[in-house]
Amino acid sequence: MRRGSIASLLLIGVVAGGIVAAVALALPWLPTPASREAGRIDFVTWFVIVICIVIFSIVAAALVYSIVTFRARPDDLEDGPPIHGHTGLEIVWTIVPTVLVTAIAIVSAIVLSRDDALGKNVLRVNVVAQQFVWSFSYPDAKGLTSGTLMLPEGRSVQLRFTSKDVIHSFWVPEFGQKQDTVPGLHPTLHITPDRLGTFPVICTELCGLGHSVMRTQAVVMTPAAFAKWLKQQTAAISSPNPSVSGAAVFKNNACGACHTLTAAGSSAKVGPDLDKLPAYAAQAKQPLDSFVRESIVSPNAYIQPGYSKNVMPPTFGTSLSKPQLDALVQYLVSSSKKG
Amino acid sequence: MTAVAADHELGPHGEGGWRLLIRAGWIRAAWMFCLFGAFGFGLVVVFRWWGGWHPIIDMPIVTLVSLLVAAPIGFLAGIGCFDYWAYYALGFPTRPEDHSGHGARTWRDYFRVNTDHKVIGVQYLVTTFFFFLAGGLLALLVRAELARPGMQFVDTQTFNGLFSVHASLMIFLFVVPGFAGLANFAVPLMLGAGDMAFPRLNALSFWLLPIAGIMMLSSFLVPGGAFACGWTGYVPLCSTHEPLGAVFFNQGVQWAGASSIMTALNFLVTIITMRAPGMTFWRMPLLVWANFTTSLLVVVATPFIAGSQFFSMFDHVMHTAFFDPNNGGYPLGYQHIFWFYSHPAVYIMMLPGFGIMSEVISVFSRKPIFGYRLMALSLMAIVVLGFSVWAHHMFVSGMAPWLRVPMMITTLLIAVPTGIKVFSWLATLWEGKLHFRTPMLFALGFLSMFVIGGLSGVMLGSVPIDIHMSDTYFIVAHIHYVLFGGSVFTIFAGLYYWFPKMTGRMYDERLGKLHFWMTFVGFNVTFFPMHILGTEGMPRRVADYAPKFATLNMVSSIGSFALGASVLVFMYNIITSWRTGEVAPSNPWRAMTLEWQVSSPPPIFNFDEIPQVVGSPYGYGTPGAQHAILAPVRTGTAEEVEVT
Repeated sequence: MRRGSIASLLLIGVVAGGIVAAVALALPWLPTPASREAGRIDFVTWFVIVICIVIFSIVAAALVYSIVTFRARPDDLEDGPPIHGHTGLEIVWTIVPTVLVTAIAIVSAIVLSRDDALGKNVLRVNVVAQQFVWSFSYPDAKGLTSGTLMLPEGRSVQLRFTSKDVIHSFWVPEFGQKQDTVPGLHPTLHITPDRLGTFPVICTELCGLGHSVMRTQAVVMTPAAFAKWLKQQTAAISSPNPSVSGAAVFKNNACGACHTLTAAGSSAKVGPDLDKLPAYAAQAKQPLDSFVRESIVSPNAYIQPGYSKNVMPPTFGTSLSKPQLDALVQYLVSSSKKG
Repeated sequence: MTAVAADHELGPHGEGGWRLLIRAGWIRAAWMFCLFGAFGFGLVVVFRWWGGWHPIIDMPIVTLVSLLVAAPIGFLAGIGCFDYWAYYALGFPTRPEDHSGHGARTWRDYFRVNTDHKVIGVQYLVTTFFFFLAGGLLALLVRAELARPGMQFVDTQTFNGLFSVHASLMIFLFVVPGFAGLANFAVPLMLGAGDMAFPRLNALSFWLLPIAGIMMLSSFLVPGGAFACGWTGYVPLCSTHEPLGAVFFNQGVQWAGASSIMTALNFLVTIITMRAPGMTFWRMPLLVWANFTTSLLVVVATPFIAGSQFFSMFDHVMHTAFFDPNNGGYPLGYQHIFWFYSHPAVYIMMLPGFGIMSEVISVFSRKPIFGYRLMALSLMAIVVLGFSVWAHHMFVSGMAPWLRVPMMITTLLIAVPTGIKVFSWLATLWEGKLHFRTPMLFALGFLSMFVIGGLSGVMLGSVPIDIHMSDTYFIVAHIHYVLFGGSVFTIFAGLYYWFPKMTGRMYDERLGKLHFWMTFVGFNVTFFPMHILGTEGMPRRVADYAPKFATLNMVSSIGSFALGASVLVFMYNIITSWRTGEVAPSNPWRAMTLEWQVSSPPPIFNFDEIPQVVGSPYGYGTPGAQHAILAPVRTGTAEEVEVT
């Protein structure tokens, strides 16, 4: 190989590497981490990206150089030199990638084991997924349940998953961690939040018609604020006459993920528009109050034309308590009459 | 379509009356389709009446037994796939050397059961291209809906159906059988064989395909809509929460899978037993090696997806509980069985492309393929390793946690044989005499795009990175860089490369290059932004997304429409060139492999005399090097086989 060709090959390689590296750095690849695990995942990602940029640059340089240098004129009917192989070169490009992927495997395995290792004083949260709702309960706080995932900063959190129907998947991009929820299994996931803020909780496993709206939020608060929130909420549920607000039931069960209801500020279109409940009840020839109750408890009893059966979970009849159900029906009846 | 010869008067046309009804063909296919369908219907009704089940006419069961199983068998019988075997089994006189169904003399011969591998290859390619267009249109609808946040054109049931049917058609009806079509045409010729080992089985394996494709497409017409659980068909969503359309997917996969298995067996027997004298394994062109290894994968792996789809379908229509956790079933069992096929399927969709690349790059670089033996061995390495990596699709699934690290190691190791292939192709280009004809452009496009797809695959192989990226648009970007930048580019390279041999005419080079550049640019504009969307937090398979992803989605949608336009250029080029293109010489690329040593298109029985193979198929640059010695062409002698 001529010396000039090595120099120009190197030059092309450096230019290609530079361009790819600039693209890699300029683009907002990963969300800003909000957990220690995400920080470590970022590290592995960049470790692998650097290796990938080097490999890509080598390939791009060889390809571009060949295209420019070895182009034949259309009337050139000669063949190239009869080179059938080069054992040394073939050994090199077998060994070097083997070493690189081994390095990637070792770094990944170390990060994986550290991400999975629970810290001290673990906060346990039970996560229940169903079409198309998340709910989070805190077994150490009298089973307090929330539609939003509230977490303290800096504490090791273990999420334990249950699915009531199909497979869903729990993901907060800023936490980096992800876990499928499988009916019949109870997998766990470890997160150590380390940045205050509100982040989206996203279902990433196709779970049916409302998959794209199966969202809620994760809020990371200071340990003091979290303790205060926990205290307030547990006090509310343990008082002898809990005042159940229909609006809260609506919000905590994520009804607004699928239904429009002006009073609750939701405008989703997966299920029927709840502002039109009086009209629907008239179509179904039932009194509004019992129509609303029946539609929550056994959603397939009456299907509004234009919507499908089996989309709404049939489980609310058992998952909601009697006062909660009463409050929700009352709330829906009064809100829809106003709307 | 061009025919080999125009012997119209010899064709079996001109008979009328009731003979038309019972002769193998479309008329018999139509009434036998109905007859078998009615038989299936009757079977269900009788059994349900006898067993005392109500209602006696249960639509899901009736649809499955009558429409999806019995009626297609009737169609196959009617079109004539089983005639020879049925005559033989029933003791009617048969003639093993009956060549009446062999070869194409008029365009009509492409529309009947034909035992000529060259005709079957073209039948495969035209059929798969039809489903490529259908699948592509579905993808454009998906991109139209995703161009802006919010819901614009379709409801969520339709949207989920669009991307599910898109993926199933592209995988089961385009990439897998598309490669089988190219190989069907090229492999027997490259081996110096007269045909495949089992020509009638070959014909049957083709006719299963349109059944599978129409079944998947027609699921849009079923009450409740198309199957909408993704091409992966995860349970329990697909088995117990889906409309009847899901069964059309389960059963469509069975027909396509059966076709795959039959073809693969045929290739294996053909390659092992029908090589020309002198064609040792180490003298086989790499396309043959690639299809040999692919066929090994297909034969071992495909029964697994058949099993997974049967069990899922039984859960759906018969209320079994293979995957129903409420009755002792295990949902992850489905995923393990499914991916035990579907990961090797990734290589089933890639290895034949590797073979095409080796042919094209060597010919258009005018150099021998670099490191021939290691190229063949790395194919074998991919086959072996390919069976040990399936659970890397399940790192976040909740499977046994200890499985993750071993599966990560095998997954990353697959990069090594794949890397060997990429570096060897680069070394083949080095110091060559590069001719940038359209197949070569697609080959170089493949090389660059596949490297990106391979590297994003290495990223996903690492468990912690995969935990973040799983089920996001990064996955969508990765699979399209591998399956479009990889497989589809190689299919186009192969189509342009063998077009002169198949049709006897040259394609239009200018339009071919235009097609390449539109595809290359459109492809990158469509799929590159998806990497960023995914890492930033956009999950896949969603009809609606957060407003912050709007810009990149719009870019991607615009790119997809450019990509759609590029296919129109391709179609125009292929159709006009097929009809009126310049007549092709027998060896326009000055290639050494055997298919280029016979006329374009090849004679009906390929070779007048079986050639004698004497050397490497890639002897470029060595003066006087020969791959094979062919008998001089004799024309018009009495020895020519009499064909009617």
